[in-house]
Amino acid sequence: MLSHATARDWLIPYADGMLAADERRRIDGHLGGCAACGAELREVRELNLLLVTLPPAPPTSVAPFWLKLQAVLPQRRALRIPNFVGYRRAGLAFALASIAVIAAAATAFAAPSALPDNPLYPVKLIEENVQLALTPANDRLTVQLQQAGERLREAQAMATDHKPRLAESSLRAYTIIVDAAAVSLKRPATPQVTKDALHALRAKLDAVERVNANRDDDVAGIKQLVAAAVDELDRLEQQESVTAPALTVGEQATPDPTPKATPKPTPRPTDDGDRRERERD
Amino acid sequence: MARAQDAPSIEGDAEERRLIDRSAAGDQEAFRQLVIRHHRLVINVAFRALGELSLAEDVAQEVFLKVYKALPGYRHEKPFTHWLHRVAANAVTDALRRRRPIVSLDGMEQPPASRESDPLDVATRHDLQKAVRQAIASLPSHYRDTIALQAFGELSYEEIAKTLDIPLGTVMSRLSGAKRLLRERLGDLVHGEEANTA
Repeated sequence: MLSHATARDWLIPYADGMLAADERRRIDGHLGGCAACGAELREVRELNLLLVTLPPAPPTSVAPFWLKLQAVLPQRRALRIPNFVGYRRAGLAFALASIAVIAAAATAFAAPSALPDNPLYPVKLIEENVQLALTPANDRLTVQLQQAGERLREAQAMATDHKPRLAESSLRAYTIIVDAAAVSLKRPATPQVTKDALHALRAKLDAVERVNANRDDDVAGIKQLVAAAVDELDRLEQQESVTAPALTVGEQATPDPTPKATPKPTPRPTDDGDRRERERD
Repeated sequence: MARAQDAPSIEGDAEERRLIDRSAAGDQEAFRQLVIRHHRLVINVAFRALGELSLAEDVAQEVFLKVYKALPGYRHEKPFTHWLHRVAANAVTDALRRRRPIVSLDGMEQPPASRESDPLDVATRHDLQKAVRQAIASLPSHYRDTIALQAFGELSYEEIAKTLDIPLGTVMSRLSGAKRLLRERLGDLVHGEEANTA
């Protein structure tokens, strides 16, 4: 037999229909002989009625709502500086100095082999950009191909760790670098070295795809990106093989006869996506 | 009780995830799409809690602004709508507490004269709803947050448990405690004479 105290405790879930059938039967049995619980149940039901009859909002338009909201949305990563010229200059100088100090400090600790899930990874990218900017034009292709290879190493590592979004992001970054390198490929300083580097990239792409395919839940996005990258590599190698003989006769060679490759859309890098995934991981 | 939303499709999940990620990265167009998707849900929660459209829209603005700022830290471990409900419930209960002095429950302890003669009377119903809102606002926070999700968000026990990340049994005990206090505080407004069926 259900005690009066227990029955009272169960009245609210009973009124909300949250009790199992046998519990309901026990409450029903108690209610048959307990006027106090019967009265309390009626109060509970009246309260429920008040709660569920709170009306929904009348129809409203989302467009003006959005315009008002948009006006107050903060700009991500915007540098907020007081709107006075003096403050602005001082603030900008301070911000730049802070960035320089932080970048220098972080660079000192950043491992060149940092992977995309490492908090120091952005520093590594900055280092690479600086390195590329300081590289003489003749050596730029070599650096670009090294960086492309590094992106593929990262993609492979992320695919192995089952971090597909980071792997995809590295593959997209690889594509960007290779696209940029395509311009340099028209005049490789060392055609054989370049050819070897492209072969090495192909091998790394194969490794990424193998890692992805070996997973039971292989990621379609990685597969597509690798396939697109291999196509791009094919195109580059054809371009390189056509261009290379002309370059062997020196700078006086005839203008580049290589037909311009048809540009194709390339996924843009998602730096912010990287950052968020790093935060999640 | 009506459900707040049906389970989204896998495609809908993927699209929403994409919109969330892009919004977190600062893509305001993606965030606009998210707002369009969930504007009605948030406005309804706020309106049920506050009873005035202009106030509800202000609170909904506040909710979406908080969401936008917090999105970079959002993890996809729980459904976005659960998180949104939680942010909305917090915002509306805060707004209710800010407005508490405006409406006193003292005057509501006796049912208005027209209540029994015409239970559908709009003014009476409006006053009753105000009293319920203010009584909810006066609850201890753990009761208030839980009952707000049921009364304003129209969530089930299971949905409340997922939204607050607490066991189902805790939801039951909190709702029971909240409703006991509400009955005490609403006094004669909940007299049990009319609702004898469920």
